[in-house]
Amino acid sequence: MSKIQKLFEKCLKKSQAEQTELVYESEEFYLTRFADSVIHQNMGRKDHTIWCRAINSRKAGIATGNEVSELSIDGLIKKATEICSYQKDTPQFPGLVKSAKTPSCRGFIEATAKCSAGDRAIAVKEIAEIASESNLAISGMFQTSQTELVVANSKGTYQEGKATEAKISLTASDESGRAGFSQVYSRDIAKIDFVELANRAVVKAQRKTEPVAIDPGKYTVILDPEAVADFLLFLGFLGFGGKGFSSKRGFMANKIGTRIMSDKISITEEPGNPDIGYISFDFEGVPRQRVELVKNGIGMGVVNDSFYGSLNGTGSTGNALRPGNNFGPYPVAMVMEQGNKTLEQIIAESEKAIWITHFWYLNYLNPMVTSVTGTTRDGTFLIENGKLVAPIVDMRIAQSMLEAFNNVDAVSSERRLVPKYGSLMYVPALKISDFNFIPKE
Amino acid sequence: MTDISGLAAKALQKARDLGASYADFRVVETRSQGLGYSNGTPDKVEESRDRGFGIRVITKGAWGYCGSADLDEKEIIEVAQKAVEIARASAILQKIPIELARSGSFKETYISPYKKDPFAITLSEKLAFLAHLDEIQSKNAEITARDSFLDFRKTIKDYYNSEGTSFHQELIHCGVGLSVSAGSGRNRSTRSYPANEGVYECKGYELLDEFDFASNIPIISEQSIALLKAPPCPAKTCDIVLDASHVGLVIHESIGHPLELDRVFGSERNFSGASFATPDNLDALQYGSSIVNVTADPTAPYGLGSFGFDDEGIKADRVDLIKNGILVGYISSRETAHKIGRKSSGSMIADGWGNIPIVRMTNTNLQPGNKTFEQLISGIDDGLYLQTTSSWSIDDMRQNFQFGCEIGWLIEGGKLTTIVKNPSYAGNTLAFWNSCDGIGDSSQWRIWGTPNCGKGQPGQNARTGQGAAPARFRQVKVGV
Repeated sequence: MSKIQKLFEKCLKKSQAEQTELVYESEEFYLTRFADSVIHQNMGRKDHTIWCRAINSRKAGIATGNEVSELSIDGLIKKATEICSYQKDTPQFPGLVKSAKTPSCRGFIEATAKCSAGDRAIAVKEIAEIASESNLAISGMFQTSQTELVVANSKGTYQEGKATEAKISLTASDESGRAGFSQVYSRDIAKIDFVELANRAVVKAQRKTEPVAIDPGKYTVILDPEAVADFLLFLGFLGFGGKGFSSKRGFMANKIGTRIMSDKISITEEPGNPDIGYISFDFEGVPRQRVELVKNGIGMGVVNDSFYGSLNGTGSTGNALRPGNNFGPYPVAMVMEQGNKTLEQIIAESEKAIWITHFWYLNYLNPMVTSVTGTTRDGTFLIENGKLVAPIVDMRIAQSMLEAFNNVDAVSSERRLVPKYGSLMYVPALKISDFNFIPKE
Repeated sequence: MTDISGLAAKALQKARDLGASYADFRVVETRSQGLGYSNGTPDKVEESRDRGFGIRVITKGAWGYCGSADLDEKEIIEVAQKAVEIARASAILQKIPIELARSGSFKETYISPYKKDPFAITLSEKLAFLAHLDEIQSKNAEITARDSFLDFRKTIKDYYNSEGTSFHQELIHCGVGLSVSAGSGRNRSTRSYPANEGVYECKGYELLDEFDFASNIPIISEQSIALLKAPPCPAKTCDIVLDASHVGLVIHESIGHPLELDRVFGSERNFSGASFATPDNLDALQYGSSIVNVTADPTAPYGLGSFGFDDEGIKADRVDLIKNGILVGYISSRETAHKIGRKSSGSMIADGWGNIPIVRMTNTNLQPGNKTFEQLISGIDDGLYLQTTSSWSIDDMRQNFQFGCEIGWLIEGGKLTTIVKNPSYAGNTLAFWNSCDGIGDSSQWRIWGTPNCGKGQPGQNARTGQGAAPARFRQVKVGV
């Protein structure tokens, strides 16, 4: 029995609350940041957080701390119980859930956990040397981390799991404005191909002609997986969570069984996908489930935690976020089904298109219609008659994301795993028609 | 009681023994409390405490940093070793050894000014305050959703460096805000008060007394209802006036961020981006019109970016960024300031103990002008007044932007007339600030707090202030 398990069992027994939940999350985190091919920030930290949720009647109080001791956990339980007394009953609150223990070390790789600052620096140096052959400098980050999650509650749930992550984000650029972007994510550092990563950014930065300016208007675009993930992340917030579904604010409200996207689009929440390897339970200890969100363009479902699962009548899908968050349940492992043409074929078959590497600073124009604005960045190209003609001066978009996912002409057979703000998305490139660009002042 | 100075001495000595030419040791303890009220019910009452330490070193001319939540001697020695090991790895890719702008040493204490410690006020009293707001919000039957919140934070920081500087600093932050919505589902409109995501200041519980919630809730409720049927913002080029809190957002995005000197040197190139305002423009670039004067000023009272000392032991100081429209300074650190031969502006802030400090905005203040609000409006024949930020997007060089607000009013013949919904505008940073021909007077000026400024990769959160009054800009593209 681990130290945390012993502590949690002991403290749960002493709790005066009707129901008590304890969540422990530890993190060993290392980050190497570089710019102009020099490491300018290099750090590590060891942290742990304990959340206590105390429940009396249908009221919950939450207290959080980062000291791991019996005294401290007892204090959190006491504070959460006190906070609970100030709340009002929430009649729909279903209480804590009892979940069967689920095995969960699928995303933990020893080699990633052991990666040292020296290992990261040597890899960055290798990437920098590849870029320098094209007279480019590199900037970006290389992060490795290991996390452990333990959830226990007074209903008898006890889950523990751990996972590792390695991710690199890279821009190869020079002072003339040439820039190319690439990134990679894996639970297993041994699976990262640093040369492929470097070459992907370098190829995007290379150009034979100066960038051309394109008039605003509607164009066919080819979105790299990173750009597709930029949109999908926002759609996750706007529609695939149970909170927006229950409040009818999300675009999936009243749309189950209805066409909401192109029939070429299928999206599932797949935490158990071997490339994603999420810890197999959520922050309430509920096993993470596979959930169909969109099937051939038809709205199929949303993800839930225990509260919204109860409200929406589906039960939890194992998508509770950290205790006390205001977002509600949210998909963290979205997988988009691949197509049957390579990205190279899609480009070759395009008469005229704009090829976009990724977007920057997307923000809502009108969340009610899923419209966003933002700019293209670090690799935007004009395709004519199936060939890359020239780089394009970055442009500003104003586009409904649902409309874009409805106008899909092609889906690539290749997919990439894209990490963004705690979510992982395994997505292909998409060819989309009538994509809207607006004037850039 | 932990002997922090004793632990600091051991940490710094260990770093020196292992070859560090510079080291600093920082302990940060944060206590936070958040309360929320939604539609007649307290939907959030939370408290958290967090403590840990970090050691930053220069070894072989390169940076290393390591932190831990376990503040004891054994852990401190291990973390010091790790920080040096990390710095040695950094040196593998170092071209020029790091040099720091000179700084005098001191030993001081700073406690931010406040009248009422928010953590001395009971949860009952705080919830009663929110219940009172909710009661006022509920008086308009057409309001379909109502939310309000209180947010309190106390940060205690102890800092020691190998140059003999040490400080103890305590900051109290308070935040309060509310919103009302009309309509339902995807046909809804929302208005916030006092600003989008509330108002935050480095102040005590007395902040809550400074806003007239009772008078303003009925006003924003009526506005929210009116927006449901309001025409959309017209698409045209015209003169605009922005309300003070939104001017704060524009300052933050188009002046504060581009003048962070680490960003200027490319440190954020891969994610947050770089800046058009490169050092060759210093003392020459016409950033704004001659009435545009901007300072970086952590000494300004009550700003969310106010403090006594930054996270590398520099005393708070007021620095000119833009003077009479000309770019004259940067927000900087000791390392970045040295590169342009200046002293640090004292702007190195880390997100808690677990992150390495980076250059952050403090209070980026647009100095007040001499116009009343009526004078700003009456100077426009055909234009738009926009209030309360709702959306913002700016390119990675901080030049081209698009901002949106919760509500707009047409200005016709020098007067506010029709309400319009989803007002937005686009511009270019330099052209925009050079078109500024009117700034509100000091009676309309306040330092608007941003509690969630993101920078770094992965993102570090920082709390910044933006001093602003309403301001007028000529010939701006709206309704984009």
